[in-house]
Amino acid sequence: MDHILDIKGLNVTYGPFHAVKDVSFSVEPGEIFGLLGPNGAGKTSTLSAVEGLIKFDSGTISVAGYDIKDKPLYARSAMGVQLQATSFQTELTVIEILRLYAGIYGVPVTQEMLITLLGDISLTESEDKRFGELSGGQQQRISLAIATIHDPKLVLLDEPTSGLDPQSRRRLWERMESIREKGNSVVLTTHSMEEAEAVCDRIAIIDHGKIIAVDKPQTIIDKHKNDSEVIAISRRGKITLEDVFIALTGREIRA
Amino acid sequence: MQITIPKTSTILSTLLRADLTTQWRNRKSLIMVIIVPVIILTSWKPLIDKVGGAFVLSTSITIGLISIGLMGYSNAIARDRDKGIFQRLRVAPVSSWCIMASRLIVQLLTITLLTLLVFVIGYDFDHVKLSISGYVLTFISAIASGAVYLSMGQVIVGRIKNPETVQSTTRLVYLSFIMVGMFGQLGVLGDQIKQIVHYSPYGTVNAILASSMEPSKWTNESTMLLLLTLGYTLVFSFLGIKWFKWK
Repeated sequence: MDHILDIKGLNVTYGPFHAVKDVSFSVEPGEIFGLLGPNGAGKTSTLSAVEGLIKFDSGTISVAGYDIKDKPLYARSAMGVQLQATSFQTELTVIEILRLYAGIYGVPVTQEMLITLLGDISLTESEDKRFGELSGGQQQRISLAIATIHDPKLVLLDEPTSGLDPQSRRRLWERMESIREKGNSVVLTTHSMEEAEAVCDRIAIIDHGKIIAVDKPQTIIDKHKNDSEVIAISRRGKITLEDVFIALTGREIRA
Repeated sequence: MQITIPKTSTILSTLLRADLTTQWRNRKSLIMVIIVPVIILTSWKPLIDKVGGAFVLSTSITIGLISIGLMGYSNAIARDRDKGIFQRLRVAPVSSWCIMASRLIVQLLTITLLTLLVFVIGYDFDHVKLSISGYVLTFISAIASGAVYLSMGQVIVGRIKNPETVQSTTRLVYLSFIMVGMFGQLGVLGDQIKQIVHYSPYGTVNAILASSMEPSKWTNESTMLLLLTLGYTLVFSFLGIKWFKWK
């Protein structure tokens, strides 16, 4: 089976700082893949390299079989992206923003289709509102609707649930699962171990720019549950993914 | 896996529609671009017999062009970059040149609007009438001259990241251009400044526009100033593109 995302030997540097060190992993069709790591571990840099936002020093990245350097427009066509801090033209209304991105991705849409799309994300009443007038949760829903407007093979979500209330977070998880049901894939970065356990089929833990573990969340827990460091960190007797994560990445607080 | 990408023309027209809507909703800044040239056109009416209609019209257009390039274009780019709007577009299958081309087309349309407005007010209020060739040539010169200030705006957003700093810098440069340019050209600030202004982007643009309004008076000096304007545009464009960061 072809990988939907294939990263091999990725290296990213910012001047003297080596942010991503020889990272390799692949994502299968119909898989939700989580990228976990402390602040500054290299998650967003890895994702930015896939998105084509930063130039990487070495390695290869292919999306749906298209090399991100050789065929950037094809690769970007195959993916939908929700950035960590995204914004749209505040002067445009919600429906105009949807129409703009539908046009950019070459999706023919009618007014009725856009209204249906807004209904799917419970924003029918907001079609004439400007993006700046929406709440954080509503903006996040619009952002995800745009990321998936062209039914991409791969959806990249950079900390999609940060700042969301539990209801909105649950709704987002359901949307990720519906993407998976269609056979498409999701790669998300998150700080929430609960989220990683709840929705991710596989996770990669990245620290200091290096991948230190890649597997199913439960497999990673099982592999490390008897480590003395993990047991020492455990707070309630039951070993969680968070216990393993802290044991693997250290207790010190990152900037 | 077979993936298709939309045609460049489709993407460009989609971007253009959004950018034009944004410009239209920012009517306040559009009015600010137009108001100073209109004030000059109306308040300088008594001077027309002394300095000539072509000088008044060319000064109005020059100041409007400075305002479009330095205030309108650079501030919009700095603001949208800061908000992350460009980053969002760049993760879509859109070429970087498409994003900029759409922005520049909107500015060229604003220049067209400004030039037409100056022609209409100049004709109607100041009774300055040009020949057909004068109107056509001035229109072409306005577009070419507008590129100088757009490229200067690009240099400013290339060097300065913070949108508030871009705004204050462009205001300062705009005011300097107007005050030193206008008064320097009239000789109020001395002969040396007059000479400097003459060969500055302000003076060259003003002179080209004035010569274009009266094509029969186009001289070798006009051609030299046109070449100098193109030279300024090339240098500023090179630096502006080189220094510009999307993020």
